[in-house]
Amino acid sequence: MAPSSYPESRDHQPPLLEARGLRKRYRKATFPALDNVDLTVHRGEILGLLGPNGAGKTTAISVMTSLLRPDEGTVFIGGLDLFKQPRRAKAAFGLVPQDIALYPRLTARENLHYFGRLCGLGGGSLQKRIEKCLQLTGLENRADQRIETFSGGMKRRANLAAGILHEPPLLFLDEPTVGIDAQSRNMILEKLALLRDQGMGMLYTTHYMEEAEVLCSQVAIIDEGRIVDRGLPRQLLEQNAECRNLGELFLRLTGKQLRD
Amino acid sequence: MVKLGATIAKELLLLFRDRAGLLVLFLMPAALVVVMALVQENVLKTTGEAGIRVLFIDKDGEAVGRAIHAQLDRSDAVQLVSASGAMDDESAQNSLADGEYQFSIVVPQGLTASLKERVSGQIAHAFAQDGGGRAENDAASSPRLTVYFDPLVQGAFRAAVVNALREIVLALEMEMKARAFSEAVSRQADRLLGQMPGPEPPAGAFPRIDPSWGRQRLLEVQARQASRGGFERLPSSVQQNVPAWALFGIFFIVVPMGGSLIRERQEGTLKRLMSLPISHAVLLLGKVLAYVLVCLCQFGIIVLMGIYVLPLLGTPVLEMGSAYGAILLVVASAALAATGYGILLGAVARTYEQASMFGAVSVVIAAALGGIMIPVYAMPEVMREISRFSPLAWGLNALTDLFVREGNLGSVLPEISYLLLFFAAATAVGWWRFVHREQRDL
Repeated sequence: MAPSSYPESRDHQPPLLEARGLRKRYRKATFPALDNVDLTVHRGEILGLLGPNGAGKTTAISVMTSLLRPDEGTVFIGGLDLFKQPRRAKAAFGLVPQDIALYPRLTARENLHYFGRLCGLGGGSLQKRIEKCLQLTGLENRADQRIETFSGGMKRRANLAAGILHEPPLLFLDEPTVGIDAQSRNMILEKLALLRDQGMGMLYTTHYMEEAEVLCSQVAIIDEGRIVDRGLPRQLLEQNAECRNLGELFLRLTGKQLRD
Repeated sequence: MVKLGATIAKELLLLFRDRAGLLVLFLMPAALVVVMALVQENVLKTTGEAGIRVLFIDKDGEAVGRAIHAQLDRSDAVQLVSASGAMDDESAQNSLADGEYQFSIVVPQGLTASLKERVSGQIAHAFAQDGGGRAENDAASSPRLTVYFDPLVQGAFRAAVVNALREIVLALEMEMKARAFSEAVSRQADRLLGQMPGPEPPAGAFPRIDPSWGRQRLLEVQARQASRGGFERLPSSVQQNVPAWALFGIFFIVVPMGGSLIRERQEGTLKRLMSLPISHAVLLLGKVLAYVLVCLCQFGIIVLMGIYVLPLLGTPVLEMGSAYGAILLVVASAALAATGYGILLGAVARTYEQASMFGAVSVVIAAALGGIMIPVYAMPEVMREISRFSPLAWGLNALTDLFVREGNLGSVLPEISYLLLFFAAATAVGWWRFVHREQRDL
């Protein structure tokens, strides 16, 4: 089914990501991991998907990157049905998973070379992209060191480099700054803003509300598999005047009980 | 093809940077081949499957001693070493205790003379009208040929050597008796002719009897090894151990291969790979081909060791028959079966520790069942039946057929088919389990 019922973006191009009515329930789970989730990302937008542990953020990314099949719903990437035209749709997005999804025994350059090849890059253009991504993430001087020798921040930056290697118009980022030093985190956020300004669309999950407030053009708050609120960060704060920032809004919407 | 090539190159690079994996894949089977070939070479000596050293002490120094020596020397089964007749029995026994020889045969002094005297006595007794008790007395005082043996020499082979010696002695006895009998018959005939009325016949009127009839055999027993193409040598320790332990090494690839799948799952690289615009089959094929390539290298190295290194340590040179194409197909099929099992293991096991422990133990069990450690024919019937289901048994049967029995592609086609079916089944189950788990656990 083509996403004709959904309004097209301002430049009359289909949205980079359009997920409609996603439902997913794991076996033996008490409630669905995703319950009628709709998400849209346009060119040059960063959609922050915020939620407590177990709210469904990673499941949502897994479904929207074809790692999981939804029980119901559709996912279109740049107008292509992800589950009917997976090869073409996959070429249009990059993934920065929560894990450092790189081979520890390979160097940063070897990792990028391998993943670049799998994305269909080769020859001089691959070398140029590798150099550019290494430069963007500040790893050009450590390119020939094995990933296992990297610090946490360097690993996160290398993880980002692998996700943007093939210049995808859409990027999925699953908590890309978790557990790293302030300098690396700041650098990653700066580079993401730069990529956004160049037109890349992103779906970004994080626990850090201040990151979302600074970086995201829109946020969606998810809890128990359902989107409980969404909109521009400023707009959401205006609607909830008693909340001074996104953190307070997040706690008001999702509660203060622990989610282990 | 580019993506497939990149995946193969990545797998090989990862493997060459995994020192523990390299040790498992290359050093372990190489060490096992050397150790087991040398150990089994010694075992074969004590079971008679390899040439054994026999110390021959001829205190007689006459015709009988020389004849026994000559007969034994013609046998390929023993390596005869002559010692001085002055060597005493105690020294001979010490040589055996030191492991220098497996047997020692002592020909007593005066044996030839004693036997001649006995045979003349027996013939004279046979022609005599009376006497029955003398022969019994003779048996009690008959000369003895003593055979000492190393206690480690197994009973069956010990009996075989003693029986062979008895056969040689029997042939000698027959020849001596035939000669003595022929001479006695001629003498008796001359005597009887002389007693007949009429002119005295000239001396030697009765025709001489050729005594060689005594050593001529009436019935030959022919023992032949069942084989194709008239290739009749027994498999050497190297021919048994090189294919056996090479296959063992090939199947040990399940540990690094299963481990690599689990690492990709645990480290998250699998998520990235599955989100890329590439067929999952290409990723899997790249992994399989990389490991099959490693298995072929591994087999090649072990074969080269069998040809060039093991002979330096005193073993026979590895002989592989002539069906090289069939050998390559068998090894490639075994490598595929092993990688299929690695995929299954990587999909079923949750941790690297589980995969390495279960993988190693299951391969050792399959190897034991498959006749890698103990020949299948030496197993109880129940175990022999079970061994038919071991992929290592299929591989070993096929390689033994090609190495020793001059088999060809046609003769090993069933084993190749079993190995390929095993690969397909293990890969299919592993793939199903993998997809099932990914959908559940992400």
